[in-house]
This record gives sequence, C-alpha cells and structure tokens, in this order.
Amino acid sequence: MLYYLGTYLNESVEALSFLRLLDSISFRAIGGAITALLLTIFFGDRVILALYRGGRRDTRRSFDFPPATARATKTYGGPLLVAAVLGGCLLWCRLHETFVLMALAAVIWFGALGYLDDHLKVRHGTSDRGLSETAKLVLQALFGLAFGLAFVIEPLSPMPGGLATKLYLPFVKTPVIDLGIGYVPFIAFTVVAIANSVNIADGIDGLAVVPAAFAVAVYGVFAYVASHAEISDFLIFPFTPGAGEVTIICCTVFGACLGFLWFNSYPANVIMGDTGSMALGGLLGTVVVLVKQEFLFLIVGGVFVGEALSVVIQEKIGIRWLGRRFFRSAPVHHHFQACGLADTKIVIRFWIIAGILALVGLATLKIR
Amino acid sequence: MRYLFTGGGTGGHVYPALAVADEIRRRQPEAGFLYVGVLGRLEERVVPGRGYPLKRLPSRPFPRTRRLLPLLRFGLTLAVGVAGGILVLLRFRPDVVFATGGFASAPILFASGLLRRIGLSRTRIFAYEPNAHPGLLNQAVGRIADRVGLVFEQAARWFDAKRVAVVGFPVRRELTCLDREAARAAWNIEGDRMVVFVFGGSQGSRTINQAVVEALPLLASRAEELIVLHGTGAHVSEGYDPVAETSRALEATGLQDYDHWYRRFDYIEEIETAYAAADLVVCRGGMSTLTEVGVCGLPALILPLSTAAEDHQAINAMALQAAGAARVLFEEASWRPREERVEMGVGGSRLAAAVLELLDRPEERRRMAAAASAPRRDSLEAILGEIDGLRQDRRPPVLKLEAPVAGPPGVPADPNRLLHHVRRRLEEAGGVQALGPMELAYLRYQADRHLASEGWYEIPFGRRNVGVKLVGLLAYEERLPLVLALIQDRSPTSRVQRILGGDYRHPGILRRNAIEFPLAMIGLRRAGPRGRSAVLEALARDPYFEVRVAAARLLGQQADPGDEEVEAALVRSLDDRASSVVAASLQALGRVGCRPERLADLRRFYVHPDWHCRQETVHALEGLLERQVVHAGDVAADVEQILSTSPSFEPAFPLKDSLDSLSRRVRQGLERDPDRDSGDRERMDPAAS
Repeated sequence: MLYYLGTYLNESVEALSFLRLLDSISFRAIGGAITALLLTIFFGDRVILALYRGGRRDTRRSFDFPPATARATKTYGGPLLVAAVLGGCLLWCRLHETFVLMALAAVIWFGALGYLDDHLKVRHGTSDRGLSETAKLVLQALFGLAFGLAFVIEPLSPMPGGLATKLYLPFVKTPVIDLGIGYVPFIAFTVVAIANSVNIADGIDGLAVVPAAFAVAVYGVFAYVASHAEISDFLIFPFTPGAGEVTIICCTVFGACLGFLWFNSYPANVIMGDTGSMALGGLLGTVVVLVKQEFLFLIVGGVFVGEALSVVIQEKIGIRWLGRRFFRSAPVHHHFQACGLADTKIVIRFWIIAGILALVGLATLKIR
Repeated sequence: MRYLFTGGGTGGHVYPALAVADEIRRRQPEAGFLYVGVLGRLEERVVPGRGYPLKRLPSRPFPRTRRLLPLLRFGLTLAVGVAGGILVLLRFRPDVVFATGGFASAPILFASGLLRRIGLSRTRIFAYEPNAHPGLLNQAVGRIADRVGLVFEQAARWFDAKRVAVVGFPVRRELTCLDREAARAAWNIEGDRMVVFVFGGSQGSRTINQAVVEALPLLASRAEELIVLHGTGAHVSEGYDPVAETSRALEATGLQDYDHWYRRFDYIEEIETAYAAADLVVCRGGMSTLTEVGVCGLPALILPLSTAAEDHQAINAMALQAAGAARVLFEEASWRPREERVEMGVGGSRLAAAVLELLDRPEERRRMAAAASAPRRDSLEAILGEIDGLRQDRRPPVLKLEAPVAGPPGVPADPNRLLHHVRRRLEEAGGVQALGPMELAYLRYQADRHLASEGWYEIPFGRRNVGVKLVGLLAYEERLPLVLALIQDRSPTSRVQRILGGDYRHPGILRRNAIEFPLAMIGLRRAGPRGRSAVLEALARDPYFEVRVAAARLLGQQADPGDEEVEAALVRSLDDRASSVVAASLQALGRVGCRPERLADLRRFYVHPDWHCRQETVHALEGLLERQVVHAGDVAADVEQILSTSPSFEPAFPLKDSLDSLSRRVRQGLERDPDRDSGDRERMDPAAS
C-alpha cells in the first residue's frame, strides 16, 4: 500500500520526489522487517492476553487432578504471527506481482488450515482431537497442486518463459532437467513436506521460529540475487524480474519471527500452535519453489528435515514395521529431552546448527 | 410379480435365499426371478442348477483398514457395481428385492436405494440377517430396507424397531420329520448308547477334526456307552486335506479297535439320518448349521470359527448358550514349538470333558434339547408373510426388546477399541474377578484371537500386541507359557528388517509389552521358574533396550530382596551400553540389593554423564539405607561426591505453586461438603431471601 501511495505522491507532488526511495527493494525489505517486528512487539501483549481470555489455550484447565502446574497453559498465538506477516507485506509489497499473490495465498491458506486445527483442539480440550492426519494432508496437497499448476502454466506463471519447469540443484550452475508437467506433483510434494516439517519441529519454546527466520533470510538473499540484473549475471543465476518482491516478503517474515521470539522465548507465554507453524511452513515451501531452490532446503532447512526424518524413521520404519524404537521419543527434540538435556540447551543447540547450515546455504551462491 | 434375490459368497447367504425362492416359485409359478451375485463364488455353482437366471456384478468385501489404497479400490469397485446394479434394476424392474447380506448384495442394495431416492423405482427391499451380530453391510443398509428379517431378537438393536420382524431361519422340509428309530437302525446302533455326531461342514474343520481325534483316547474308557459319528469333510481347501490329515492323526494316537464306537466318514448324502440318530452334536457356529441342529432339537457343543467376520459365530453360539441350548468351547491360542508359531484350536481334553459330563447327566441333555427346539419351524411362512405385507404396506407389530439382551455387550472388533473397552469394563466392574464368567470367557477368547493373528501392528484383523496386552489385563494365567514363548523365540526376522535394525520375528515392542503387561500384572511368582529365567535371560541378552529396561524394572518390583541370582544379574547389567537400562537396574538394586558390596557398585555412578543414572543412584542409596544394608556412616562421606549440577532444571514459578495450593484447597473444600456452596450463595445474596 505504501508503495502505491509513494508512487502516486512522487508523480503528483514535486517536493515528495524523495519517495522514489520506495522503488528500492532493499529499502522496502528493511521497512517490512521493521514493521512486522514492531507490530508484534507493540501489540503482542494485548493480543496474547485477549487470546488467553478467549480460551485459546493449549489445554483446558480445571480444578480436577492433576494439579494446575502439570498442565501447560500457554496461549495459541499463531494469529499474531500471521497478522504481522500479512500487515508487513500489505504495506510494503507491490501487490499486483504474481509472486506476492502466491506467497500471501500460501500464508492465508495454511494459516486458516492451522487455525481450524487449533480451534478443534481447543474446543475438544485435548490435542488429540484436531484435524485428522489425512484431512490435513489432503487440504495441504490441494493448495500444493493448485499452486503448482499456477506456477507452471504459462499465462499465470511469474517466471520468464520456460524457466518454470527447470530443476536447479545447489552447487550446480545449469538446470539439471526440465520436468515439464511433472513439476506440478513435485511442487505439491515440496510444499506439503516443508509445511509439515516445520509443524513437527515446533515442539519446544522457540525451537521452530529461529531456524525458520534463518531459512527465510537465506532465501531472501537468493531472491534478491535472482531479481538483480547485474548480480544475477555475475553469479550466473537466471534473471527473474519481480522476484525482488519475494525478498521483501522474506524480510517481513524474518521480522515477524524475531518479534514472535520476543514472547516465545523460553519460558514462553505464547506458542505459535498449528496456525503459526503451518503458515510459516506453507510460506517457506512456496518461497522455496518461487526462488527455484527446492533442494537447497535440505541444507538451509536441515533442522526441519532432520526433525521430519526422525518422525518417519521412528513411526513408519521403527514402530509400524520393525516393532522397535530408534529414539526414546520422536520428534528428535523429545529424544534429547528424554536423554536429560534441558529445553533451553536443546533449543539453543538447534539454533546453532541452523545458523551454520544457513551459512553453508549462503555459500552455495558462489560455490557452483 | 418380479423378485430379485441377491447375496452370496458363502452358503449362509445363498441357501436361505434359494429356500425362499423355491417356496415362492411353488406358490406363484408365473412369478419372475433374477439372482444377482458376484464372480467366482458359491452362487455361480449353485444358482443356475436350481433354474434361476444369474447376473453377476463386481463387488468386494469392505477392507477393514485405514490404508488408502484398499479403500480406494473398494470404492471404485462399489461404484462400478452400483452403476451395473442400476442398469439391472431398470431393466428387470423387480417388485421386491430380497437381500441376504454379504458384500455380494451391496451393488443392488445401494443402487435400489439410490433409484428410490430419485423416484425412479418403487421396489421394496427385504433385508435378511440370520446372525446374532449383523454383518457390516446389513448394518449399513438397515436404514434403506423396508423390512429387516431376523433370526435373533438381539440383532434388532442395530435396526429401526418399526421395521424389524423376527422370522427365523428357513430349513429344509426333510429335517422336520425325522425318525429316530429308523435312523438308528440304518446306522446300526443298538441299545441306548449316546450318539455324538461331529461335523465341520462340507469343507471340514481343522479345529474340530483335531479336537475329536485328540479326545478319542480320553473317551475310550467309556466306549461301551457312546458312539461317535465323525464327518471329517472331503474337500481340500487352503492346503488342508481333512481326510488324509485326520487318518494320520488317528494313527499317531495309537488307538486300536475303535470300530465299534467310532465311525469316520468324509461326507454323507443324507445328513438327516445322522441328526435323527444323534443325542449330541459337535459343530461350528454358522447359522445354517445351528438352525438345523436346533430344529432337530439336539443339544450342541459349539466350537465357533475364530476367524469369522465380526466374530459372528462366537456371538451366535453364545446366544444359544444363554438360551440354555448349547455349550461353547472357544478356540484357544497355543504355541506350537515344532512349527514355531501360534495356532488356534480346541484341546482334546476340553472336548472330552464336555462330552463325558453330558454323558453322565442325561437330564442336563434333555434340558438343553428342550431349549434347543425353540427356533421356529414356520420360518418360510413368516418370511413370505412379511414379503406380502411389504407389498400391501402392512407394518409388522413393533418388536419390544426384552432387556437385558443375551450375549456379550457390544465388544468392538477394532483391536484398539477392544483394548479401550476392556480397560473401561475392568474399571467399571472393579477388577477381573468381578466380571461375569461368560463375559470373562469371551474377553479371554478375544485375547486368544489376537494372539493368534500373524503380524504385530497393521494387520486389520488382529494385532498380536493387543493380544499380549489383553492377557495381562485379564489376568489370563493359562496363556503365560505362550507369552514366555514369544519372549524367548529367537527366530530371526527377514534379512531386510535385520539390516535396518530389526532383530527377531516377535519384535522388540511386543517383547517389552509381554514383560510389562502379562508378567508384571499377573506376577512374576505365578509365572514360575520358567518365567523367572525368561526375564533374567531378557535382561542379560535381549538386543532391544526397552526389553532390558522392562526386565530390570520388573525384577526390581517383584523379586524378593536378598535373591542373589537376581542381584547378580542386575549388577551385571550396570555395564549395559544403554543408559536407560543402567538407570532401571540401579533403581531395581535399591529395592532388591541386600549386600554391603553394592555400595561399591553404586559409587561408580556418582559422576555418570546421564543425570537419570545419578538420580537413580541416589534413590538406590536411600533404599539401601532404609533397609539397613549400608549404614549412614558409610554413606556420609559419599554425599559430597555425587555430581549434582544437573543439566536439567525446572525453573520455579511461585505463581504456579500458589495456584496449585489454591486449587488443592478448593478441591478439598468441595470434597468435604459438596452441598455447602449453594448455601453460601444464598447468604451472600440478601436480596434473594
């Protein structure tokens, strides 16, 4: 919105020509980040208390056994995170770009899906009674397929001709293969897998937010490179005009994540719940596709990938098939808890790992 | 009039339909008939021979799983079948659809329901349910059927009472006029020896054949008083050859000179003569068999087929037992060491004991026979009357259920729900002893069924894991040997699974549950020396850490303090590579350890990297002090040595503590005088008074 206002004023009023600044992607990106950060910090307390009073808590509390402390009484604060992201993007992005529309659609769809899940859990008073696993997967895949089709089919696709269906790998300069229409199910899988992995990782206070912030930051850089004619030429990336808007979205999410961490850090008075983790995951999945660096997520999102793998190994291979456990508990952060590590220690170690992996991911910019 | 018959798969579905069709044809020669079944089932062989046109539609049984692929395949087949059913119905335009259930009738039933919904058809639907527990399909179509015909009143629970009619099971006319003397003469039976007629249907039943052959040596001493007529069945199916295997088993018993009291045959044309001559029947629990036995007025020993859909044979049998007409001998699971597998069967000794008891008590036999002749003989009459009533829109009198219903209260088929059900029942009743004997027997039989199912987790019809847990919950002591065999079975699993971390065929979590449920709940002492050695072996050698943890915990809880063998085993497992096993062993040593040397063992763990182990060391020290194995003086210097900086800490929230104490106080107040709070409210609100 600010972009359009600025352009209008710039053209109509001579004295406001400094608003040309709003053309600059880096300026708007920083603006988005700061907006989202300040939005969460200023409105955080009020929103959290309102949500708490409205009963959006982890589990229902009662006077019955077990005593109150045995039950977590944290607030589902996902809407706060989603609102900050949407607010920042609406203010600073060029809303007519397909890139922006796709990313925001992901935030809204996955946020709504997660909100529904949280709502069911709150209403039934137990975390076992949310959306069923199948229902979640189907609804996520629906978005994935729709997004995939829109991304691949020519008139809707934001990518310059022919680029949409080409597959890039980290450390390799040229596209490996043109998947054609086969790219659609691949996109759907990527989006669903990433959304769920972030959802799984969101298990201890602050565990999911910081690695997610690192990941969006890296992808923001990649998007900036792709959208910049000279830098993309220098680093041998396909030049994608308009991808700069993705940088702004990434920075806004980065700011929103930090703002959320303000309240979510241990011991948290708010957790993101499915609303937040799904919205974050869905957005990450979409951005990964928009920047055309799907496989880079294996490095940059290594924490999420590891968490998701630990669940698959424990549940599907271990318990269902072999009849044994590999971890004391899955996802893997619960394994470390069972091994006797404190929550804070696990979380900060995961942050460190995520930071190192983000640096490795950035290094692939040049090492190709 | 045009009649469409549908239903098939097994005799229980096909024969009643044919009996009704024959009777209609006798009365209305001009009526039109069509039979709709599925490909490659019994109806293909039987129906054309009786002179009815047969149409086949695709259909398949409902897959009892939550996996997507089988469900999709089922949905697709059903859709194709229903589309075909619509064509058949539009072309044939029947006045009445008579459905006997089974997946074969699904396409027609759903198609006619659909056609009626959109007003293209005015067909009446008569659904027939011969079993005490309705099949899945009949449960589903009960809503669209205009009339549901039942044999058992208790099945009415699943349907709308206004549409239900109890009509009985149609039987062949020959069975209604039996001549006992002539039949006995034909079988060459002299005097009043008790005739036991044993048969397992045309395919033969492995359970029944094995049980009879095992029972024979035990019956031999009373051979002068009884005669056993044994129909083994003739058809080879699923690799079981009833004739050959029965003669082999008979030879193995070493029994000689049995011709004058044991007669074996594979198949008889006129089964009526056997019924007529018999005093007691040993049979399976299918409804057609049970009705024939009932119409003949014979007491029965029923060995229900444990793999029947919805377990309907067992439920039928229990309904008859509740009526006093039969005794049920459930199949039991046992470990066959030679085949290294669990098998279901009825032990010969149980069968022999039941037969001998009835031999000694003729008055009991008479009482059972009197109760047995309850099933109605005019069932065809009743069914045709209901069909006529359907055409004229007459309603049957509303069925009033006599409470309480006989048989077990709805025991769910899904393994996990079953487990939940058992836990709830135990809680309601307050322990295993408080359950009724019949309910307990049935639930234990469920444990047997699950123990016998292969596969441990995802197999739809039984998960051995659930069986193991049920053995513990129901204190089913007779199955302890089988459970121990599962723990000790060392046959390896497939190579692929072993590469990925599997070990034995009975997987780790199953072995752990076998220790945590049956052994821990029934008690290590009751498991005898074999149970004790199995647990010690598990602690020392099992490759899966959770099994070793469970073993250490069990020993700590149930072994006697001062048991040196246990103490030594626990000390050895202090060197285990899994720290959770070490922690469990330390905990156990605190309870079991009785020698002062233990202090030296515990000292090794004062600075162990895992704080769980250090904590258990502290607990163990406390335990040893309490039982005065070590003295305060010995430990005094040690307290300083124990590494106490734990990487784990729980930050204290004073607010939460205060909230806790408040809610505790509120709870106590409520318990003390629950009525008080209303009085308080009145006092606080003076305007109200």
